[in-house]
Amino acid sequence: MSLPLLRAENVSLRFGGLQALDRVSFDLHEGEVHSLVGHNGAGKTTFIRVLAGVYTPQEGRILLRTGDGLEEVRFASPRDAQRFGIETIHQNLALADNLDAVANVFLGRERVRHLSLDEESMETEARRVLERVGAKLPSLRVPVHRLSGGQRQAVAIARALLFRAKVLIMDEPTAALGPGETARVKGLIRALREEGLGIVLISHDLHDVFDLSDRITVMKGGKVVGTVRACESNQEEVLGMILAGEAKR
Amino acid sequence: MRNGWLGVLALLAFAGGTWAQQRPLVVGVSWANFQEERWRRDEAAIKEQLARMGAQYVSTDAQSSAEKQLNDVDSLISRGVNALIILAWDKDAILPAVQKARAAGIPVVAYDRLIADPYAFYISFDNVEVGRQQARAVYQVRPRGNYVFILGAPTDPNADLLHQGQLEILQPAIDRGEIRVVGKQYTEGWRPEVAQRNMEQILAANRNQVDAVVASNDGTAGGVIAALASVGLAGRVPVSGQDGDWPALNRVARGLQTVSVWKDARELGRRAAEIAVLLARGTRPDQILGAQRFRVPGDPRGTVVNAVLLRPIPITRDNLHIVLEAGWITKEALCQGVSGPQAPAVCR
Amino acid sequence: MNAMYPSDKAGKSPRVDMGTYSQNAFLLVVLGLLWLIFHLMTLGQPGQFLSPQNLWNLSVQTAVVAILVGGMVLVIVARQIDLSVGSLLGFTGMAMALLQAVPPIGQGWPWPLALLVGLLLGAGAGLLQGYLIAYLGAPSFIVTMAGLLVFRNAAYLIAEGRTVGPLQDGFLILGGGLQGSIGPFWSAVVTLLALAYTLWALWRGRWLRQRHGLSVRPFWVDLLITLFLGLVFGSFLWVMNSFPHPVTGLGRGIPVPVLIALGVLVLLHWVSQRTRFGRYVYAIGGNPEAALLAGIPVRRVQVLVFGLMGSLAALAGAVQAARLAFVPTGMGTLLELYVIAAAVVGGTSLAGGSGTILGAALGALIMSSLQNGLVLMGVPTEWQNLILGVVLVVAAVWNARFHRRRI
Repeated sequence: MSLPLLRAENVSLRFGGLQALDRVSFDLHEGEVHSLVGHNGAGKTTFIRVLAGVYTPQEGRILLRTGDGLEEVRFASPRDAQRFGIETIHQNLALADNLDAVANVFLGRERVRHLSLDEESMETEARRVLERVGAKLPSLRVPVHRLSGGQRQAVAIARALLFRAKVLIMDEPTAALGPGETARVKGLIRALREEGLGIVLISHDLHDVFDLSDRITVMKGGKVVGTVRACESNQEEVLGMILAGEAKR
Repeated sequence: MRNGWLGVLALLAFAGGTWAQQRPLVVGVSWANFQEERWRRDEAAIKEQLARMGAQYVSTDAQSSAEKQLNDVDSLISRGVNALIILAWDKDAILPAVQKARAAGIPVVAYDRLIADPYAFYISFDNVEVGRQQARAVYQVRPRGNYVFILGAPTDPNADLLHQGQLEILQPAIDRGEIRVVGKQYTEGWRPEVAQRNMEQILAANRNQVDAVVASNDGTAGGVIAALASVGLAGRVPVSGQDGDWPALNRVARGLQTVSVWKDARELGRRAAEIAVLLARGTRPDQILGAQRFRVPGDPRGTVVNAVLLRPIPITRDNLHIVLEAGWITKEALCQGVSGPQAPAVCR
Repeated sequence: MNAMYPSDKAGKSPRVDMGTYSQNAFLLVVLGLLWLIFHLMTLGQPGQFLSPQNLWNLSVQTAVVAILVGGMVLVIVARQIDLSVGSLLGFTGMAMALLQAVPPIGQGWPWPLALLVGLLLGAGAGLLQGYLIAYLGAPSFIVTMAGLLVFRNAAYLIAEGRTVGPLQDGFLILGGGLQGSIGPFWSAVVTLLALAYTLWALWRGRWLRQRHGLSVRPFWVDLLITLFLGLVFGSFLWVMNSFPHPVTGLGRGIPVPVLIALGVLVLLHWVSQRTRFGRYVYAIGGNPEAALLAGIPVRRVQVLVFGLMGSLAALAGAVQAARLAFVPTGMGTLLELYVIAAAVVGGTSLAGGSGTILGAALGALIMSSLQNGLVLMGVPTEWQNLILGVVLVVAAVWNARFHRRRI
C-alpha cells in the first residue's frame, strides 16, 4: 500500500473547557476523495482548519509525504499549510467581496513587478485557471459580490488550484448551489481526482458523498466514529453511524 | 467625675466652633474651555488673590461643553464651595446652574462672559469699550474707504458686545457714506484659520479693494493679516485686535497690526477673586467698590445685573512700553524681526 | 443569490469596476455644476468665483484637507476611524512652531529640522494608536477619541497656553502666500511632466494589456480621456499662472501647499491601487477573516495605516501653520469631522471596504468649493454650516445607493 499524502495522528484540540477534537486520526491518498460527515458541531470544520493551519492542535501530529517518506510538520499559519500544497476552500469561501475575481484568486500571494502589482500577468493567469475550472464569469473585473454563488465558488476553487495544490480541502462546496452548478462542481472534483489530487470533502448530502467518495469518515462530538469504504457501505449504514455515534459490527 | 465629662464636652464644642469659624473659604471656578490661551493668566491671578485673602481654590474645566459645565457646577456645589466664579461656555445653558447655586445660597460671579441672571455678579472688561477702542484706532488711520468686519464666534455674546462698540464709533461715518462695509463675517470658534479663509474670500469678492479691517481679537487679526499678506496688503491696511497675545504685539511693533486692545487678565482675575470672597463673607453686591448696574444688551426681559467693568487699554506702536513695563511680554519677543527707521521707540 | 448572469463574453472585461468610475464621474459633474452656479451667482460683484484669484485661493484652502483625506480613506476602508486627526495636526503644528521660533518663545532650530521632528512625532503618535488598536484590540473609535483629547491638551501644555509665532520665512513657503508658489516657468515644467507621465501610463497600460491578450477600452474612449486630461492639466496651469504676484507682476504659479497635496494624493492613489499594501487594506476592509486566512499580515497593515495617517496629520499641520504664519493652541479643532465628511462625500463607505482616493479628493474639493463660494457671495455664517450639513446628508444618502450589497 502506498504512502498517504497526508496523515493526522491522534489530533486533539481544546478551546477553553470544550474538547473540540479528541484523538482524531485521518489519512488521505493521492487520487482519493475522502469525505468527512457528521452532525453540525461534530468537529469536521474544526479538523480541517487544523489541516489548513488555522488552528494548532495541542496533542497529536500531522505528517505529510515529502519525497520518499512521511515527515512531521507544524503549521504556524495558513500560509505554512499553503506552502506544503494544502489548499482550503472554506465554507464561507473566504472571498473579499469588494475585490474582483483576479484580486481574490491572488489574495495574499500577489505578483509584483518593480514595486507595483503585476496586474496584467495576474489577470492572464487568473483567466486561465478559471477556464480550467469551467467558470463562466461575466467579467473578471467586477467585485465578486456581484457574482452568483456558483461563480464565487469557482473563484474560490480557482484560487486553490492556482498554487499547485496537492491536497484540496472543500467544506460544503455545493451547499448553496443550484442543481446545474452542483453538477459542475462534482464534475470538477472527479476531474481533479483523476489528476492525482487528494481531496478532503465535507458535505451533509449523503447522496453526493457516496457519489464522489472513495472513503467516508464519520465524526461525532470531536471523535472519529469510524471510517468505511464507499463501495463497501451504503447511506443507511453511514446514517446509522452518524446518529448512533458508533460503528456497526 | 460628671464635671470632668462636661468639661471635656465643652472643650470639644469650643474647639469645633473655632475650627468651623477658621475653616478657610473655598472658591470654586468653573472654566469653559481651558484650551484658549489667556485663561492660564487669569487662573494664576485668581489663585494669587485667593491665597492673599486666605481662601482656597478649586476648579473644573467644561471643555467646551454646556452639559459638562452644568455637571461641573453641581460637583463644585457638592464639594461645599462658598462662592462660585463661572466663565460660562453657553450663557443660556448655564442659567439652571446659577439657579442651583442661588438655592444653595452660594454667590456667583460671572467671569468675563455675561450671564443674564440678576443673581450673578458680572465682572468683565467693558467689552463695548473694547469694541470702541478697536474701531477708534482703525478709524484714525483710515477715516474713509471700504471696511471689513471680522467678528467673533457667533455663539459668544461678547462678539456682539464688541460689534456694538465698533458700530458706535463707525456708524456716523457709515451713514454719511464715507465708510462702505464691503464684508462682514462671524468667525466660528474665534479660529484664526476660519478668519483667514473668510478674509481671503472678502478680498477676492472685492478684487482686493479693502481699506480697513476691524477684527475682534488677535487670533482672527492674525488670520486676516495672513490673508492680506498674500495679496501684498499687509501693513498697508489697518487691522484691529484684542488680547495682547505675543505674536500680535510683535505685529504691532512691525507695523502689520494697528492696535491690540489689552485687557490685563491678571487685573480681572484679581478683582474677581476679591469680589467672590467678599460676597461669600456676606458683603452686599451694591457695597462692592466700583459696582454699577448693567443692563443686559438685547435681553427681552430687560434683565439688569450688578457689575464691575474694568477699563481696557488700546496698545498701538506708540505705547508699547506699557506692556513691556507691566512685564506682560519680553523685549525679545516683542521686537523680533523689527528693524529699520520705522521701528517703534521701544525697539530701537 | 443565484441571479442569472449572462455567460462570459470572451475578453470583454472592463479594466476597473464601472461602479467607481461612474461614482467619480458623477462627483466631477457635481463639482462642475457647483462652480458654474457659484460663478453665475457672483457675476454681479467685482470678484467672481471663476477668477484666477479665487481659484488659486480655493486650491490653497483645499490643500490641508486634501493632504489628510487620502490617509483617512485608507483608515475607513480598513474598517477603522481616526478621530484624533485635528488634534494631532494641532499638536505637531505647535511642536514645529515651538522648535523653530526664536528664543525665548521657542528653541530657534532651523525649520527643516523642526519639520522633520514634527513628522516623526506624527508618525509615532499614529503608530502608537495603531498598535493599541491592532495588537491590543481596542476599538479605533475609543483610542482615537482619547487621542483627540490627549493631543489637544498636549498642544496647550507645551505652548503654556500661548499662541506661538512668528515662524521662519523659509517655513512659510509651505503655506502658500507671497513666497509660497513656484512661479510660471516651474509650474509649466511640473504640469507638463505630470501630463506626460499620466498619458504615458495610460497608453503604456493599454499596450501591456494588448500584449497579454487582455481586453482594452475602445480607442476612441482612450483618445477622449487623453483630450480631457490635456484640457484639465492645461486649464490648471493657465489658472495658476494667471493670478499675478503683486510685486513682480508675473503669474504666481502653483502654490507649494497645492504641490504637496497633489503629491500626497498621487502617491496614495498609487499605493491604494498598485501596491500589495493597498490591496491588503481593501481586503481587510472587505473581509478581515478572509484576509487572515489568505495569510495577509492584518495587524501589521492596520498599524501602518494609522502611522501613515499620523504622518499626514503632521504634514498638514506644517502647511496649516505656515499658512497662518503662527500657531494658536486650538489649531485644527474639529478638522477630523470635515476630513471624514470629505471622504464620505467622495464615496467612501463608513462600513469599510470601498472608497477611492480620487473620489475623496473630489469630495474635499466639493466641500471646500461650497465654503469658498458661500463666503464669496457674502452668505451669513449661520447659513453656511446649514447648507454644508444638508449637502453632506444628500451626498451620504446618494452614495449609499452605490454601496448596497447583495447579501
